[in-house]
Amino acid sequence: MSRWLAWHLPGVPVRAGAPVAGAGDGTVVAPALSPEDVARAAELARAAGARLRATPLDDVSAAIDHVARRFLDPADPLRREALQWLPAVTGYDPAMAALVLDRMAADWTEPALRRLLRAEFRDPRALERFVAHAPGQRARAIPPRLVFHVLAGNVPGVGVTSLVRGLLVRAPALCKTARGEPVLPVLFARAFADCRPALAEALQVAWWPGGDHGLEAPALAAADLVIHYGDAPAIADLRGRAPATVRVVEHGPRISFGVIAREHAHRRAVAAAAARATALFDQQGCVSPHLFYVEEGGRVEPRTFAARVAAQLEAIGTELPRGQLSIAEAAAVQQLRAAVEFRAIAGQQTGLWTGGNLAWTVAFDPDPAFAASCLGRFLRIKPIARLEDVLGELGSYRAALQTVAVSAPPARAAGLAEAFAGAGCTRITSLAAMPFPPPSWHHDGRGPLRELVRWVDWER
Amino acid sequence: MRDQAWAALRDRVLAVFRQPLDTPLPDPVFDELARAVFAWQCRYNEPFAAFCRNRGRTPATVAHWTDIPAVPTEAFKHVDLVVGRPADAAAVFRTSGTTLGGERRGTHYVLDLSLYEGALLPVFAGYVLPDGARPLLLSLMPRPAELPDSSLAHMISTVIDRLGAPGSGWHATVAGGIDHHSLAAALRAATERGQPVCLLGTSLAFVHWLDGLEARGEKFALPSGSRLMDTGGYKGRNRTIESTEMLARYRALLGIGPEWCVNEYGMTELCSQLYDAQLRDTVLGRASAGRRKLPAPWLRTRVVDPETLAPLPPGREGLLQHFDLANLGSVVAVQTEDVGVQIGGGFRLLGRVLGAAPRGCSIAVDDLLRAAGRTPGGHA
Repeated sequence: MSRWLAWHLPGVPVRAGAPVAGAGDGTVVAPALSPEDVARAAELARAAGARLRATPLDDVSAAIDHVARRFLDPADPLRREALQWLPAVTGYDPAMAALVLDRMAADWTEPALRRLLRAEFRDPRALERFVAHAPGQRARAIPPRLVFHVLAGNVPGVGVTSLVRGLLVRAPALCKTARGEPVLPVLFARAFADCRPALAEALQVAWWPGGDHGLEAPALAAADLVIHYGDAPAIADLRGRAPATVRVVEHGPRISFGVIAREHAHRRAVAAAAARATALFDQQGCVSPHLFYVEEGGRVEPRTFAARVAAQLEAIGTELPRGQLSIAEAAAVQQLRAAVEFRAIAGQQTGLWTGGNLAWTVAFDPDPAFAASCLGRFLRIKPIARLEDVLGELGSYRAALQTVAVSAPPARAAGLAEAFAGAGCTRITSLAAMPFPPPSWHHDGRGPLRELVRWVDWER
Repeated sequence: MRDQAWAALRDRVLAVFRQPLDTPLPDPVFDELARAVFAWQCRYNEPFAAFCRNRGRTPATVAHWTDIPAVPTEAFKHVDLVVGRPADAAAVFRTSGTTLGGERRGTHYVLDLSLYEGALLPVFAGYVLPDGARPLLLSLMPRPAELPDSSLAHMISTVIDRLGAPGSGWHATVAGGIDHHSLAAALRAATERGQPVCLLGTSLAFVHWLDGLEARGEKFALPSGSRLMDTGGYKGRNRTIESTEMLARYRALLGIGPEWCVNEYGMTELCSQLYDAQLRDTVLGRASAGRRKLPAPWLRTRVVDPETLAPLPPGREGLLQHFDLANLGSVVAVQTEDVGVQIGGGFRLLGRVLGAAPRGCSIAVDDLLRAAGRTPGGHA
C-alpha cells in the first residue's frame, strides 16, 4: 500500500487532498474537505443516530467487542493495517505500538464495557428506558444527538476510547483526528461500519488541520456535545467558538508523577515499575510520570533508587525502544541534560544517568520544587524528607495534576491519598498500574459515560 | 588574567573582524585561532573546562576546532560561563524569558565591549547597509537604559550611535510600548525629505505595530532605499504568522520590498550576529542562493543531528551550533535549540524552539509557564 487515506466518511463523497502534515513520510493523505462536506457528515451522523438509539445496547456493545477482537487478532488484516501505519505516523517503535494497541483494545471488549457500564450507572438499562431511581421517581439517560470529538495524538487508542464511550451511550459521532494519530479512529469506524452496515453513517471520521474555523463551524453547529482533547491554546480557541448551547467536555494538558515511601525505596520491583511507567508511550501520556519523589531515610537512598531506575530504563530499551524524537524534543533533552551536568559542575549534588543517543535520561535533582519534564523518557528523581512535604512543592502545577502513583505501606497510603486528592490529583494508583487506568476511571475527574448523557426524571 | 596575553589574543581576534566579509577565513587560520581561544578558556573558565573534561576534551586532545564541545544555552542559566570573574564583565546580558529552566535567565558576561562592537558593526553594515547608505535608524525597541539586560537593545543602540543618520532614535518605551505618534511623525518627516529610513525591532514588535497601522487604516510609502531589520520569529502567544505574510505586509503598509527586509539572527549567548544575505546579494549584484544567513569570517555555524550532535550534510534539518571567536570572554562553542538547514555557504533558519511542545493532552511546558503568568522568551 503506497498511501493511506485518513478519513472514513460514509455517504460523503470526498477526494484525496494534501498529505497529513507532519504524519510520517507524506503517504498519509487527508481528505479535500469543504465546510459543506463536514455539514453533510454531521447531518448523516445525526440521522443515523435514530437507528443507533433504536439498536439494543447489547447489540451496540457486541459490535464494539467484535471490532476490539479484530484489533487483538494477529491474523486479522485490521490489526495488521493498524500496526503497519501506527509506527510511521506516531513515531512510536513497532513494539510499543503493538503493546499499546493490545492494552487499549482489551478495554473495548465486552467484559470491559460491562464493567464500565456498571461502574457508571447503578442500572445501565437507564440508557434504554426509564428505571427506578428513588421512591416515586424514575430516571432515564438521554444521549446527545451528535458528539463532535476533537482528538489528540499523543497516545494511540485514546481517541477510539472516546468514540467507544459515545457509542456506549448510543450517540453518533463526528470525529476530527489528530495529525499525530489519524489512524486508529478511522480503522475503528470502518470496521464498525463493516460489522453493522445499518449504523455505518453513525461514525464519521476525518483529519483536517486543527483550528480550521471554516470546517469546524458546521461541526460545532450540529453537535450538542463536544469532547476535546488538546493543548491549552487549542482548548481555549475551540471553547471560544463553541455556541453557548453546546456542552464542551475538555481534556486539556495534564501532568502526572509518583511518590515512593522510604519503606519501599529498596524494592527493586518499585524501581522497575517506575522505569516502565516512564518508558510507556515514551512519557507522552497524560498518565506518564514527569518525576518521582523518593523519601529519604530508607534502606536505599533516593540517589541509589535513581541509579536503579536508570538501569531498568536501559533494560527496557531492548524490549520497547524509544520512538522518534522531534528535533524540538531532542533539543530539549540535550538542554536539560546540560543543565543537570552544569549544576553538578557548580557543586550541587545532582546526578545524571543517560542512555546512548538520547534513549533515556535519569536526573537526580536535590531541588525539591516540582518540575515538568521535556518528556521522551527524561525522568527527574527528587529526594524529599517526608512524602507529605511534596504537597508544598507542587506550586502552579496543582491546576494541571492528574495521576499520582503512590508506593507506600497501607498505613500511610490512606493519608497520602487524601492529601493528593485535596491537592488536585484525580487519580491515585500504584506504579505498576500507572500507564493503563481501568476503563471505568474518572478521566480527569469526571464520569466517562455519565458526563455524556442528559438525565430525565419521571415523577409519579 | 586580563594581562598582556589576553590583550594579544583579543587583538588577534579584533584583527579578524577587519577581514573582508565575503572571504571565509581559511580553515587552518580559523582553527589555530579557535583552539587558542579554547585553550585560553579552558585555563580561565573552569565550568567550561570541566564540561570539556567530562567529554575527554582538553587543549591537548582537541586537534581541530570541530572537536571543541559546544555548551548548550541552558548552561548559561546555571553557571557563570566567563573567563575570569563575573565582576570584571564590561556588560552583562540576560535572556528575556524562560523555556525549560523555570524563572532562571541565561546570563552572558561580555568582558570587553570592543569584541562585541567589533563583531557587530562590520556585519550590520555589510548586510543591512551594504549599499553604504546611512539612513535614519528608528528603533521599535526601548532604550538600553530601560533594558540594561538586553543584548538587542545594546546592539541597536550601538548601530544608532555609530551608523545612524542624525535624528536616528528610539520610538518605544517599556511602559508605553511603541510610540505610534512619534514613529509616524518621524516616518512622515523622512518621507517628505526623501530620506531613507531603517526600522529596527523584534518581529513581534513589528507585528503589533502593523496591526495598529492596519486598524487605523494608516500606511506609509517610505522613500526608496528604506529598509528594516527584524529579529526573532513571529510565534506569538496567540498567533503565529508566516514570514511570507509579514513580508507582504511590510510591502503593503510600509512600501518596503522583500529584498529590503533583513531578518537578523542573534542570541544573548553570542557576541556575533547573522543576517539574511539577500540585500547584500542584490546590492553586490551576485546571484542569490535564496534567503539564508551567512556567517562572518570569525564565525562557523554547523547544522548538527539533534540526537548525536554530529554534523549533518547540506539540506538536512538539525540544530544550529555556533563557534564564535568573538566569544573570547565566555565560551567559543554554543549549542542552540534553533532549527536550521545548511544552504549555500550559510543556513536557513527554520524555527526557534521555545521549549519542547509535546503532543496532545500531555503537558506542554510552555503552557504551564503561560498558566503561571510567565512569558516564554527568546532572543537577545
